[in-house]
Amino acid sequence: MRKMDSGCDFIQWLGPDMSIQILEHLDDPSDIVRVSAVSRLWHQFAIENGLSRQLCLRMFPEISSAAHVIEANNKIEPVKLNRSSNMEWECLRRKHKVYSFLAKGLSPVIRNDCIRGAISASSTDNYPDESIQNTLEARDRVDNRPSYWSSKGEDDPSVPETLLYRLTVKLSVVAEIHVQPFQAFFQYGFPIYSAKAIRFKIGHLRNLMETEADDFGNSAADRFIWTYTSPEFPMVQESSLQKFELPEPVLCVGGYLLVELLGRVQKQEIDALYYICIAHVKVVGRPALPAFDVEMLDQSGTCDLRYYSCRESAVKSPSLKMGGPSRLSTFNAIWNRILGAGAGTVAGDDDDEPEDEFPI
Amino acid sequence: MASSTSGSSSSSKVVKIRSSDNENFEVEEAAAARSETIKKLLEDVGDDADVIPLPNVDAKTLVKVMEWCKKHMDDVDELNKEEMKTWDAEFVDMDQSCLYNVLLAANFLNIKELLDQLTQKVADMIKGKSPEEIRATFNIKNDFTPEEEAEIRKQNAWAFE
Repeated sequence: MRKMDSGCDFIQWLGPDMSIQILEHLDDPSDIVRVSAVSRLWHQFAIENGLSRQLCLRMFPEISSAAHVIEANNKIEPVKLNRSSNMEWECLRRKHKVYSFLAKGLSPVIRNDCIRGAISASSTDNYPDESIQNTLEARDRVDNRPSYWSSKGEDDPSVPETLLYRLTVKLSVVAEIHVQPFQAFFQYGFPIYSAKAIRFKIGHLRNLMETEADDFGNSAADRFIWTYTSPEFPMVQESSLQKFELPEPVLCVGGYLLVELLGRVQKQEIDALYYICIAHVKVVGRPALPAFDVEMLDQSGTCDLRYYSCRESAVKSPSLKMGGPSRLSTFNAIWNRILGAGAGTVAGDDDDEPEDEFPI
Repeated sequence: MASSTSGSSSSSKVVKIRSSDNENFEVEEAAAARSETIKKLLEDVGDDADVIPLPNVDAKTLVKVMEWCKKHMDDVDELNKEEMKTWDAEFVDMDQSCLYNVLLAANFLNIKELLDQLTQKVADMIKGKSPEEIRATFNIKNDFTPEEEAEIRKQNAWAFE
């Protein structure tokens, strides 16, 4: 570019139509935010024309379905009015902030590893051999041992079960959930213990003071507020990874997923009770990148967006910092505790030859 | 856009256009017709056309625009695409006032591809720059109070690292 001439403010010179055409070529949300920090005119122009929203929806078209969460529900970055501002402008400003944040903060690639850990199951037949933790493993057998979660047996096939998971981050867009029922390859007739139907709920902790939900008690499910409930999907009695695509991708704030297994289809021959067994669960979507997070403000699900820069996070207390090594190490600690217990059992069992038939 | 490509160089029709400062130009019809506006006018007036007046474009700008149209007269795939890219990059490398004039002309004359190249060029002058650098490039005065500016930076800290 020649530096000969002194430049001039093209928004003034070219007018809004041409200026929008120029700014629509910007493909990095940071550029749009920096444009909005140039002058009052540019600030107003970028915000009034919704440049960051356009870019965000161009980058992640699936978010458009979640737009009402941002725009109408006033849940994310709730608009606060002070005397000197007007409602319309504050809404535009909020949109500018939220959409540029999402455009920059959501993973550019769709990931299928959005689950960070399993928290609890409504029932478990043999703990820890048939723990929900096994559903994080994609294979249905590990080192010649079957890997799955099993409910307790029930006479009544309508008794439901739930599996509770924590997602990798508190802010993500969830598109699909994949679930594989377990086929008991060690039982006569190779029964598949799937459920009749399945439904998903996404939400956040009821008590905002809690930072971790790692209690495995039965009350676990009561400790959450579910802000999204999917329709019921029929499950097929097949030992394959069954893909449940949500009708619209869901902007998920809070980071918890409840899998509801509705109705039982398979009776175990040995005790004539109905069981549900799941080999694997995974969540497909766009998690927020490590430095981008939400802070829940109250039980209604209202939240503010937070960004933790590298410099800041070094100073922040570990409980505030999300997605960094500290959180991971907490997770690993929990994991090791569980695996530690499990590993002991496995080690003890090593002496015995695996039986041909395990009761589930 | 493939207007009479075969043998266009030898037997193509010439049209006359007039700039806002009353300079007349003779341009091959195939080149002039890159402008949807001129193409439409030619269709409307038919063969009786004497001179097509372009009241929004001055001579200096029109020369630039027609230079681009001549280069882009033929189908792109007939030419070396790399060579064309280099030519385009050199073409849009002009000073800002000239750039804006050609941009407005491309808009008025409705030459979508040229408009796209020019708006992209201006956008490239913004990409990756800090607000200070953008102000310097476009000679814009910072009229925020220090508090306002600090607030904007705080609101979107991730964009300023």
